Amino acid sequence: MARAGERGAEKDGRLRTWAVRLACVAFWLVVWELGARAIDARIILVGPLEVLARLAQLATTGEFWASVGVSLGRIGVGFLTAVIAGTALAALASRVTVVRELLAPVMGAMKAVPVASFVILVLLWVSSSYLSVVIALVMALPIVYTNVLEGILQTDPGLLEMCDVFGVLGWDRVRLVYASQVLPYFRVAVTLALGLAWKAGIAAEVIGLPDFTIGEHLYDAKVYLDTPDLFAWTVAIVVVSVTLETVVRRLLDRVVVRWEARP
Amino acid sequence: MSCGFSLTNVEKGYSGISVLTGVTACFESGRTHVLMGPSGSGKTTLLRLLAGLETPDAGEVGRSGVERLAMTFQEDRLCDNLTVTANVRLPHARLRGAERAAFLELEREACAAVGLPCDARPVRELSGGQRRRVSILRCVLADADAFLFDEPLKGMDEKTVDAVMDFVLPRLAGRTTLWVTHDERELSRFDDPVLWRVEGGRVISCS
Repeated sequence: MARAGERGAEKDGRLRTWAVRLACVAFWLVVWELGARAIDARIILVGPLEVLARLAQLATTGEFWASVGVSLGRIGVGFLTAVIAGTALAALASRVTVVRELLAPVMGAMKAVPVASFVILVLLWVSSSYLSVVIALVMALPIVYTNVLEGILQTDPGLLEMCDVFGVLGWDRVRLVYASQVLPYFRVAVTLALGLAWKAGIAAEVIGLPDFTIGEHLYDAKVYLDTPDLFAWTVAIVVVSVTLETVVRRLLDRVVVRWEARP
Repeated sequence: MSCGFSLTNVEKGYSGISVLTGVTACFESGRTHVLMGPSGSGKTTLLRLLAGLETPDAGEVGRSGVERLAMTFQEDRLCDNLTVTANVRLPHARLRGAERAAFLELEREACAAVGLPCDARPVRELSGGQRRRVSILRCVLADADAFLFDEPLKGMDEKTVDAVMDFVLPRLAGRTTLWVTHDERELSRFDDPVLWRVEGGRVISCS
């Protein structure tokens, strides 16, 4: 009975939180709409209603979905490569100090160099079609590497001693001890890197202009001073970003819960 | 008499402070050895030397007929994100299929015997006393030739101690066991133990 009461109170609390969030979003949408009407210049600012109408119009075209798909696919490949490479390099660096020392300045530079510099450099080396793949990889790699390495290095030495005594070695040690210690760091790294890779990938497309990409459409909107298009594509970018982050976070949460609940 | 563990003129210290000085001892295999002594006398250091977690500054530590070890440490040393059964099964990581299912059944019986919940919760959600019991079960159910216990029952109430010892003692019979404790009452629970006193850097047999 008490537990049912607690569940009810928890549900009420969650509903209230969502109601407050929605009210805040509605408030800013109204401010935006009023601002657009006050300025009354479509080239400078368009209201949310017009943006929504333009987005709905775009969403009925095949080109819109093809562009979203191409951008998502290329950035996704770069991101997944970064996750795999970053994890493998972190595992290697945790074992071999020379590798860790060698990689430290490389990862530091990757974090510090502006995206625009990377984009221009990469354009000299590869075709613009692969630009967003490389940029997503370059942006996500140091985040995944640094976080996973930190997770491995923070593994409780007491647990490793326990493994030594019980003879838990090799892959079993990785799977049972390191994985459970590194998983929270990995989860943070992946969600952080995903958002960054997506935004940097789109920025790269704006500079490199590969065909049928979101970046190309953003560039066109700028060139033709098509502000409704610019806003509509931006909203699409944000929606994809939020959706991706939510899906990946939930997926990882589910993996963690299943991992923890194994008998 | 064959020594499961032996120490020959062992010296061990930390940061210039001597903990064990010229210790020579033979821990007979197949028997239970209870080690008592004041705090800081070197009981844990002794266990760590025998487990191979420390190297002596001088002297020799020997093992005979002890290939596989199991140990409870002063801390629980559990994987916080894993369940009770996953933690207890950690030394049996390679079990698969029917063997794994059989061991899981044994784990469930063990949990019931010592009053541990055997569900999908990770052990970080358990109380200190419950975590301690998980650590004891992991040690006792390990496929080991020798057991090292470092104050395993510390902080447990009498009823829980009874339940734990009823489960643990039959499993130690005939196997080399070193049991560190402060509590003299624990002595009476063992059948014919070898009593050792660790004090002043020395390890002295009292039996």
